[in-house]
Amino acid sequence: MMLYYIYDGTFEGLLTAIYDAYYERENPELIVAMDNFTDNFLIQRRYIDTDEKKATKVHNGIINKISEDALTNIMYAYLSEHENAGKYILEYLRFGFKVGRLVDSYLSDDRVHNIHKLARKVSRERHLLLGIIRFRLLSNNIYYAPIDTQYNTACLLGDHFAARMADQIFVIHDVKRNYGVFYDKSKWFISDIDTKGNLDLHEKELFYQELWKKYFESTTIKDRLNPKLQSHFMPKRYWKYLVEMK
Amino acid sequence: MELIDKIKILADSAKYDVSCSSSGSDRKNKKGGLGNAAPSGICHSWTPDGRCISLLKVLFTNHCIYDCKYCVNRSSNDIPRASFTPEELVNLTINFYRRNYIEGLFLSSAVWVSPDYTMELLLKSVKKLREEVNFNGYIHLKAIPGANSALIEEAGKYVDRMSVNIELPSSESLKLLAPQKTKKSITEPMGLIKSKIIENQEERHRFKNAPYFVPGGQSTQLIIGASRDNDLKILRLSESLYKNYNLKRVYYSAYIPVSDHPSLPSISNPPLLREHRLYQADWLLRYYGFNSNEILDEKNPNFDELLDPKSDWALRNIDKFPVEVNKADYYMLLRVPGIGVKSAQRILQARKVSILDFDDLKKLGVVLKRAKYFITCKGRYFQDRNFVNNPPMIRNHLLLEDKIKINEDAEQLSFFQLYPQIMNPIEKISRITGEL
Ligand code: SF4
Repeated sequence: MMLYYIYDGTFEGLLTAIYDAYYERENPELIVAMDNFTDNFLIQRRYIDTDEKKATKVHNGIINKISEDALTNIMYAYLSEHENAGKYILEYLRFGFKVGRLVDSYLSDDRVHNIHKLARKVSRERHLLLGIIRFRLLSNNIYYAPIDTQYNTACLLGDHFAARMADQIFVIHDVKRNYGVFYDKSKWFISDIDTKGNLDLHEKELFYQELWKKYFESTTIKDRLNPKLQSHFMPKRYWKYLVEMK
Repeated sequence: MELIDKIKILADSAKYDVSCSSSGSDRKNKKGGLGNAAPSGICHSWTPDGRCISLLKVLFTNHCIYDCKYCVNRSSNDIPRASFTPEELVNLTINFYRRNYIEGLFLSSAVWVSPDYTMELLLKSVKKLREEVNFNGYIHLKAIPGANSALIEEAGKYVDRMSVNIELPSSESLKLLAPQKTKKSITEPMGLIKSKIIENQEERHRFKNAPYFVPGGQSTQLIIGASRDNDLKILRLSESLYKNYNLKRVYYSAYIPVSDHPSLPSISNPPLLREHRLYQADWLLRYYGFNSNEILDEKNPNFDELLDPKSDWALRNIDKFPVEVNKADYYMLLRVPGIGVKSAQRILQARKVSILDFDDLKKLGVVLKRAKYFITCKGRYFQDRNFVNNPPMIRNHLLLEDKIKINEDAEQLSFFQLYPQIMNPIEKISRITGEL
């Protein structure tokens, strides 16, 4: 029978699962978040109880015995929400605890390659989002940016925008996962979002949207049109909230 | 005139300046302020022509007292004219910035009334942004040729990057097409900016809080195909600009016909492929340790239309190949067609823990399409070793594989390498590899 680990979907939960697998020498077929789990009777289930102490041990173990980079890598891989992410992370860490800080040099080893691939996807999306999220000014003077992303990247945006838009209150709203990154001019935090909130626009908002659209249109060189290249860099799935693409 | 009409006119006439990079500066936000710079740069959108929009790129004014023949804004051209006020520009910049439309401002201008008069307006605008509204995002400012050097120096204190566009690669073509400009009016401000940057770097080295002076460096642009200058001449010019003026970037812009003056070539399409080859060669100069004489010479002063400059070099130097992947040093790896910066770095990293085979290379993301003719792994060739000492045969194969690509993508490729430094580090490196 195939053994599945089922955890609560948090990063701590995942680290707890790693701890259990490591110390009980089990080899789960899949480490899956509760919400993504679909049952069938060939599966032996084991529910992981998220345990902060175990999670902290794994966390510190990675930093001390492998590297900080390794921790970042598995964090990013986790945020990819790929169905095999948990399993790949376990394999990567097992290997990492064996070879230590050189783990990321084993580029052609699948245990490393799989993690790098996932991490790179998330990192790429994060970088794209730094540029293409669009704030709109609401009548209550909050800058509000809805986003619809492939991976769970919203939580990787807080540092960047808090440093940059230091003097404005903003909310970045992950519409699919329904949580937000909030910034109140002193610190940023993550919280659920009340979708019934008031989203009326500030009276000047449409004026600036029009100016931006006009700019976008005027800065295009019409002798060199190349829409394929445009959507190569800026895939269509992200156009929904782009003022200039409407 | 309404603001929206000004944007239309002044963005339209600024767009032929191809630089839009927002990289190289590490300016931090100030307390209670707005904005900072991201050293690797960030793209905020892509236009339908496939170019990245990073900065709000506008002219302050398109009123011009000069009559450069290749330019839409030349005084003899009958077009609508407009000017911003410094207040309008400041307002536009920060409102776009707050909505995350842009990384900052790229402010350029035609020459209105006089070079000094124009430069003063530009200076006033950037000073306002920094001092009155505490804006700390990226600013790229064009220095107006012929303006008083005190004004240019003052402006440098407020901006992240400065550029003086050379546009025409030689004094002769300058005389022919832009008779009111002189070589001196271009090189003088470049020299000034260069020496101030060096001074400032030393100062910031000693005092961490010393004020910035153009921390993102300076750049310039050359127009390709408006004059008769050959590729060798252009490449040598770029090389000397990197060496003697420490330029961060030289941009190449395929000439887009905007006038039918008899001194201008009559072309119907901008020479995009040539522009692309120049970017590839420029890359070889800056990142691959090549010098211009290796790439082109008096006998072959123009690029091979069909083959990229690195493959072309490799075929002319076939005696240096094959390269053993497990032994070659970084710079030799970089000379292998198909191996770029990312691939070379990965090979070095992976070599620390294992001896590489062709399958490993594939997993590392090394594209073998070109490289396979020029390398060995553990002493073995990828395939038939007859290829190795047979440049004409390799050339045919490279062309055959490229054929479809050139037809389909000649135009697409052109802008691919324009903005590599704006991607994040992982991405940046992967952009670099692709074509070379
Ligand atoms: S000075 Fe500049 S804007 Fe004026 S015509 Fe010459 S190139 Fe054009």
